[in-house]
Formats: sequence, C-alpha cells, structure tokens
Amino acid sequence: MRSFLYFVLFLVIALLVTVLTAILGDEGAWYFAWLVGTTMIVLVSAAGGAMLDANEEQAAQSPPPAEPRRSGAGGAE
Amino acid sequence: MINGTVVDLSRVQFAATALYHFLFVPLTLGLSFLLAAIETVYVTTGKPIYKRMAMFWSRLFMINFALGVATGLTMEFQFGTNWSFYSSFVGDIFGAPLAIEGLMAFFMESTFVGLMVFGWDRLRKGQHLAVTWLVALGSNLSALWILVANGFMQDPRGAKFDPVTMRMHLTSFQQLIFSPDAQSKFVHTSIAGYVTGAMFVAGISAFYMLRNRHMDIAKRSFRIAVLFGVLATVGVVTLGDALGFVDAKAQPTKLAAMEGLWNSRPAPMAFNLIAFPEQAEQKDVGAVRVPMVLSLLVTHSLSGTVPGIDTLEQQAVQKIQNGIPAVEALKVLAHDPQDAAALAQFNAHRADLGYGFLVQRYAPHLSEVTPAQIERAAKDTIPPVAAVFWSFRFMVGLGLLMMAFFVLATLYSLRNRIQKKRWFLKVAVWMIPVPFLANEAGWLVAELGRQPWTVYGVLPTWMSASTHSVGYMVFSLIGFVTLYSIFIAIEMYLMIRAIRLGPSEPGGDGAAGTWPPPTLAPRPVPAVPYGGNVEG
Repeated sequence: MRSFLYFVLFLVIALLVTVLTAILGDEGAWYFAWLVGTTMIVLVSAAGGAMLDANEEQAAQSPPPAEPRRSGAGGAE
Repeated sequence: MINGTVVDLSRVQFAATALYHFLFVPLTLGLSFLLAAIETVYVTTGKPIYKRMAMFWSRLFMINFALGVATGLTMEFQFGTNWSFYSSFVGDIFGAPLAIEGLMAFFMESTFVGLMVFGWDRLRKGQHLAVTWLVALGSNLSALWILVANGFMQDPRGAKFDPVTMRMHLTSFQQLIFSPDAQSKFVHTSIAGYVTGAMFVAGISAFYMLRNRHMDIAKRSFRIAVLFGVLATVGVVTLGDALGFVDAKAQPTKLAAMEGLWNSRPAPMAFNLIAFPEQAEQKDVGAVRVPMVLSLLVTHSLSGTVPGIDTLEQQAVQKIQNGIPAVEALKVLAHDPQDAAALAQFNAHRADLGYGFLVQRYAPHLSEVTPAQIERAAKDTIPPVAAVFWSFRFMVGLGLLMMAFFVLATLYSLRNRIQKKRWFLKVAVWMIPVPFLANEAGWLVAELGRQPWTVYGVLPTWMSASTHSVGYMVFSLIGFVTLYSIFIAIEMYLMIRAIRLGPSEPGGDGAAGTWPPPTLAPRPVPAVPYGGNVEG
C-alpha cells in the first residue's frame, strides 16, 4: 500500500511538472526554473554543509595515520 | 503642462527612495532562503549548533526586514502622490499586482516572520522549519508581484487603451504575469538577492574567523553560504543573459544604450568591452571591441543583429508621425466619445499613441508640429547612453568578481582550508558591499534604460508626474533623503551591534526575547575553536 501511494505521489508530481512545462513553454519557463532552481540551491547548500560537517567529524574521530615504517639506513630497497 | 523641473525632481525622489529600499530588499530575499537552508540542516541532522546559527542569522534578517518594510511602504504611496497621472492612466493594470503583493505575499511573510522569531519554543522543529520556508517564499513572492508590475512598465502586455475612459484597461492577466520581461527580471532579481545574502553571511563569518571568534558557527555558516552563493551566481548570470535576450526584442533602445550601439552594423556584431559614449555627437570614444560577441550575447546567434541608435531614431520619427493623428483623434473623442470618424482615426493609429504624446512636450498644439520638434522628440527616445552603458558594465564586472570569489571560496571550503587562508578571509569581509553595489547598478540599468517612458512606448515620463510645486518637491525630497539616511544609519548601527555581540553561547536558549544582552563586551572564544561541535 505504501509503495502504491509513493507511486501515485511521484506520478502526480511528474504530471504536474509536464503540465507546467507545457503551459509555460511558449512563454518562457523562468518561473518554473525559479521554483526548481531555488529548491536546488537551498537543498544542495544544506546537504553540502551537512556533508562537510560530517566529513570533518569523521576525520577528527578516526585515529591519525600510522607513521611509515623505516626500512634500514638509506632506504636500500 | 507639467513643469519639467517638477518631473525631474519626482524622478530623483523616486530613484532615491527606490535605491535606498533596494539596499534592504535583496538581502531579505537571499537571507530568508539561507535561513531555510541552515534550519533544514538543523532539522535533518538534529545538531543544536545549526539552531544557534539559524537564530543568529535570523536576528540580522529581522533588522534588515523591519527597515526594508519601512522604506518600501513610502514607495507605493509615491505612485499616488508624485505620479498621479501615471496612476490614473495605468492604475487598472498596475494596481492589481501591487494589491496582490500586499494582500498575499506581504501579509504572508509578515505573519510567518512573527512565528519564525517567537516560535522557537512554541513550535515543533518541523513546524518551525515550515514557517521559515514560508517566510522565504513570502518574501520572494512579494518581489514577484512588484516585478510583474515593473515588467508591465518595461514591456506593456495584456492591456489596451480605452479612448472612452481615457485609461488603459487590463485585457489578459495571464499575459501580464507571464510577460517574458517580468519572468526573467523576477528570477534575475531574486537570485541576485541570494548572492547578496550569501556574500553577507560569508563576509560576516570570515570576520569571525579572522578574530577567532564563534569559529564553530562561522565555519559552518561560511560553507553553506559559499555553496549557496556559487550556485546563485551561476543562476544570476544565466538570467542576466535571458533578460538581455528579452530586452533585445522588447526594449531595443535600452539594449542599444547598454551596448553603446550608435550605428546599426551587419552580423556578427562586435561587443563594446570599454567605450566612452558621447550622446551629443552620437559616437563612442576609445572603444575596445570584441568581435562577434554582441550578436552571440543578444541574439544567441552569429547571424543575428540588433538595431543601432541611428535606426531606432528613424523608426521613432515614423512612429511619432503615426501617433500624432491618434492624439488628435483622442481630443475629439474627449468631447464626443461617439464620434465615429475620430474613433476610426484613433484605431488606425493607436499603436503609436505614446509617440504622439512624446512630441506633445514640444508641440502642445499638434496641428502646428514642426519636423524639428519631431526630430527632437525622436532623439528623446534614446536613454542616457553613458550612464546605462557604464552601470551595465559595473554590474556585470561585479557579478563576475563575485562568481570568482564564490568558486574559490567553495574550493577552499571543500578542502577544509578556509580558516588558514587569512588573506582570503580579509577579501571576504571587503566583498560584503559588492553585491549591494551590483544591485544598485542593475536597478539603474533597468530604470534609466526605460527612459523617456514610464510605460515603455505608451506613456512618456514627462506627462506622468503630479502637478506639484518645485518647492514642495524639494522639501519632500530633502525629507525623504534625510529620513532614509537615518534608516541606513540605524540599520548599520543595529547590524554592527548584533554582529559584535555574535551568536548566543551554547546552553543559552537564545530566544529572541533575551536579545540584545545588556553588555556589548565581546564574547569569549569558544572552548572548541575549530570544527568541533561544541554541544557535542
């Protein structure tokens, strides 16, 4: 049932996008572009900020990398 | 006839109030969506530091919002007080979007702003996030309706002049809203606001990082702001191009002034990178040209052309000659609206009615108009070229500078090296005024480039103003400039004070009611200066 509801929801969104594009297409679709673009700008900046935050925390929690083992004087190999 | 000095003073007064108001508006447009981005991270990650960030930036947002409202209200009243003929002539069209702006967008944003500020302890996280998004949406919808009204002034669509009522009537609300000028201008302006908000947040965050204060919040705010900014600058450039493409068709005189294009040239047309236009002699001095670029920019084709000022003036002469019978017929219809011959004459020449009005400035009795007067009126159809040309280049130059800044800032942020680049942080602080200057220059391009019309090709500026005395206009202009300068000083004082105080400390509730704290002393440096989440 839940999957079906998701399907209907996405179908409605897809139809809405198609209809809006068709209606606005002749006139120039900048209002529609603004809706999509603004949502994208906000969500990408939010997700990017959270991702960088998470990366930094992960780097702070992980142990520092081990010192490379020295192999004799002069590094004969 | 309205005194020319009164018209000029009315223009100066409107320009002054609009330019002051336009210092506040873009920041509201951008900062509201940045708040939405920060609060979205708070709700999705549950980290309290993002709540502190949202609360801090919303304080600065509120200062700006309150002063933006105060300066915006008087602008709308000016249409009635200083531009009464304009309001009477196109009020049926112009009034509708302004009314919708007030009733829908402004009421919406004002209501939700209250909930956003006072609702932190009264609403659930998700509810508060929805409120913040609605504030951002309301602010930008407010700009939408204003720019729909402005779009009508730039490219009048969806309206028709009625010779019986002597006013313009709305014929298609859809054409009014979906005017290509309104669409591209709204998105360009709105996204320019995003760039402004991003630069503001990035600059203040850099200021904190330079002083090693509030590092936890400053670093996170900087990252989100520069990601927001880099995407927004791409958008603003794209829409700037779209607006130029639209203007090439809708406002050829504005485009010719923007490009210093005195003479029509064959395709592919060269772009004037630098030039010193001389209006009296109709030529550019010291022009540095880039081959083929103008055709590409304004027609998106190497074979496309746009008319130069010489051609546009010739076209204006023809339009003026065609518009004169329409104005003559209108005088007859004013006494007898049923006069069939006058109505037929009007309908035959109605397309150029505005150009008939234009020459009336020099020939009040159109039956006695001379070729020299027509020539003079035709020259008036060209806006002040040097001012438009340089405002445009100033805006574009600053836009590209901001794009370069945000790209570099994003790279440093992605590599987690921003706090080590102290020179760049200093640059970021100095970059704060740049988007504001670019916005003002953009306004000048749009509105100076529209001259000599209040409604392009329909209603000349010279006959749009109210019949005030010069003394009244000078007095009110001084009053407005003084009052608005005080508003700017108040905004600067409150902003600097709030920035010096900084965000609330971890553990404090940070509720708006507790702000401002009683002291201006700087807060101590957080215990975890870099990167770590103070609240754990």
